Amino acid sequence: MPLLFHIPGALREFTAGRSAVKIEHSGGTVYHALTALCALYPGVRDRVLTEQGQVRQHINIFIGNEDVRYTGGLATTVPDGSEISIVPAVSGGKRSEQSFSGIAGPESLSQRSQRHSSANSAVKSCY
Amino acid sequence: MIGQVLGHCRITAMIGEGGMGVVYRAYDEVLHRDVAVKVVKKDARLEASAGQNLLHEARASSSLAHPNICTIYDVGETDGDLYIVMELVEGKSLQTLTSGSGLPSESILRYGIQIASALSRAHDRGIIHRDLKTSNVVATPEGLVKVLDFGLAKRVGGGALDAPTLSFSTLQGASGVSGTLPYMAPEILRGESADARSDLWALGVVLYELAAGRLPFEGRTGFEISAAIMREIPKPLGPPVPPGLWAIIQHCLAKEPAQRYQRASEIQAALEAVQSGAIVSPDAAADPSVAPPRTTILHSVRHVHVKKGDFLLLVGTTKGAFILRSNLQRRRWEVGGPYFHGHAVYALAYDPRGDQPRIWASTSSYWGTLLRSSDDFGKSWTNPQQAPIRFPSDTGVSLKNIWQITPGRPEEPDVLYCGVEPAALFESRDAGETWSLVRGLFDHPHRPRWVPGNGGLALHSVVLDPSNQQRMYVAISSGGVYRTEDGGRTWTAQNRGIRAMFRPDKYPEFGQCVHKIAMHPSRPERLFLQNHWGLYRSDNFADSWVDIANGVPSDFGFVVVMHPRNPDWVYVVPVESDQFRCTCDGHLRVYRTRNGGASWEPLSRGLPQKQAYETVLRDAMIADCLDPAGFYLGTRSGQLFASGDDGKTWQRIMEGLPSITCVRCAVVENGSGAAISAPKASRAAAPSKSATRSPSRRSTRR
Repeated sequence: MPLLFHIPGALREFTAGRSAVKIEHSGGTVYHALTALCALYPGVRDRVLTEQGQVRQHINIFIGNEDVRYTGGLATTVPDGSEISIVPAVSGGKRSEQSFSGIAGPESLSQRSQRHSSANSAVKSCY
Repeated sequence: MIGQVLGHCRITAMIGEGGMGVVYRAYDEVLHRDVAVKVVKKDARLEASAGQNLLHEARASSSLAHPNICTIYDVGETDGDLYIVMELVEGKSLQTLTSGSGLPSESILRYGIQIASALSRAHDRGIIHRDLKTSNVVATPEGLVKVLDFGLAKRVGGGALDAPTLSFSTLQGASGVSGTLPYMAPEILRGESADARSDLWALGVVLYELAAGRLPFEGRTGFEISAAIMREIPKPLGPPVPPGLWAIIQHCLAKEPAQRYQRASEIQAALEAVQSGAIVSPDAAADPSVAPPRTTILHSVRHVHVKKGDFLLLVGTTKGAFILRSNLQRRRWEVGGPYFHGHAVYALAYDPRGDQPRIWASTSSYWGTLLRSSDDFGKSWTNPQQAPIRFPSDTGVSLKNIWQITPGRPEEPDVLYCGVEPAALFESRDAGETWSLVRGLFDHPHRPRWVPGNGGLALHSVVLDPSNQQRMYVAISSGGVYRTEDGGRTWTAQNRGIRAMFRPDKYPEFGQCVHKIAMHPSRPERLFLQNHWGLYRSDNFADSWVDIANGVPSDFGFVVVMHPRNPDWVYVVPVESDQFRCTCDGHLRVYRTRNGGASWEPLSRGLPQKQAYETVLRDAMIADCLDPAGFYLGTRSGQLFASGDDGKTWQRIMEGLPSITCVRCAVVENGSGAAISAPKASRAAAPSKSATRSPSRRSTRR
């Protein structure tokens, strides 16, 4: 059963404008799912992972509502039919990196994006 | 040989003969099984110690228990020849299977996944194959693949080299290069040592050969083949090769190891993704990797329209960049931007070399740090799919920020440098197409003892000696000043006389928190330095430094800027202290010396003098090379000031910007431009216009 990636606005430049991408997948890990996504849309990789293959500090990956940072990271097994969200974290600027703790789940993300729709459209207009 | 017993194996038949030796079928009389025995040819060039190394490595390889690796059972010596007892694999080599025509995609994927899995296991144990090729991979009738000869190529010298390689090895003086030329990675041909990524290149060659039925890089001679490997792009593979597979092959065949897959497991996962039929998106047929160079065109951003004779200011901020245009009077300004909405831009550069001036920018956000460029004064910017500046996997570190972009000397139009965080220097020799880590500095024994300053462990200054192509300087917070005299291969700490207030030993060999260094090109032996506490001058190529903080309100600050013509004139902006990094007493004042630091005078006319608790960051001030000279400074509070009279009077030209991190300037000449962000040696000594422009800079864009 395919799984569904939710693509944030900033990455849609690299997914031909798609906000959601279906990937055929069975029984693999988040890493495998991401690799499949990046085989199709290579520009996504370096935005989500460092060159050492770690998820960037301020990028969160959710399977459903679970942040994979707390479930095994990239080695987390992805159940068939899952929805995976790539979500930039909430943080207050460069100096707050160390104390960052504001992690938003997908629901609060959608609420937030409604609140900040003007900011989102600004980002879109930039690309 | 037939009938002879090696160890406890009786040779029964000859199977074949290869570059490395003769392979026999044999019967293990103790364990009662058929085995293969490879007898490695005796080679006069193979020293006894090298023979021991081969034995050692064969033993190490024998520990690689993996279904896709041909198991080595035993190694030994007979009459001086080495022999290796290994698993007998009944099947055909991939070279035999592919000769003349490509294999079906399903087979390629099936074989490729198994080879990648084998490489992954070996690399995890620190063993590199070094001679992966289709003739070294055997497929059984059941579709199982076995990779042969792991780790054996090393040390075997000329004996391991096949015909095309021999010609290469002869030409190169057989300098310990091993492998087979058409499968050799560019870095090996450059004389660098092979690492795991060289095997990943070879896997790319194997996959290409399986798909196309021919090698990606061909030639009649070793020279032609190596030239193709170094420079050419393989012919694209269209249907029936799936686009995903072609993308994987291309990624394996990136010329720079840093641009390739970094691990075999990544290739395995990518091949599995293609094999699983993976992608069901409607545009799966579109091959993203062969799309035109990725460029982002900015439609809704205000642009400046630049023409010959215009003057440009490039302003980087923590939330984007701006381009300001004026004429040579530099009084009225048109503003373009913001570019890179919301991204921090810590470095900008104007590169006039080449047919078209190019603006470089580093952008940093949640999504990583990228080096980008524009050839049309900001209307469009490259947005590479893969970050061009990246640390090799063996370093274990990831790029945090690009602090400095420095175009090379005019006579080296394709050379560029980037100073980055964590502290390292990257170099491009092809006009920014590809970048490599300057290992001489990164592998310096001091590096583990450098510590981050407040802004991070940044290499923020790159100063090139215009009189000596082999000499340059870098400055690191907190590592100090380092100099190379051999074009970057080796570096020495050059910090004698510079204080480190934050250490018990005030004058260490290295570890100083240098904030900026500057040199006037007409006096390359002389450098000025703004330290984390301390203003210094060196008159001997940074061999030693003397304190020149004579009459400044504080010797703490960030910027140090040279006058474009007078090498005794230097400009700084002192701030109160490291605790209170704001201009002293609420006055924004530039301090100038006109005698090389013997005395300093404040320049404040036109600058705010009430409650002006400002900071001018290390790259946020610059001089042009017009006469009288223009100076430009940006503050952390987002104010931009300009002086058109050597700094005597100033005017505010913008306010309300995000924090300004970087200011650069240029005059656009003859449809292209001449960078004037650094002072020229002198009018007489300055390179001619034709010399400052390069016809050889590549016009291709990422």
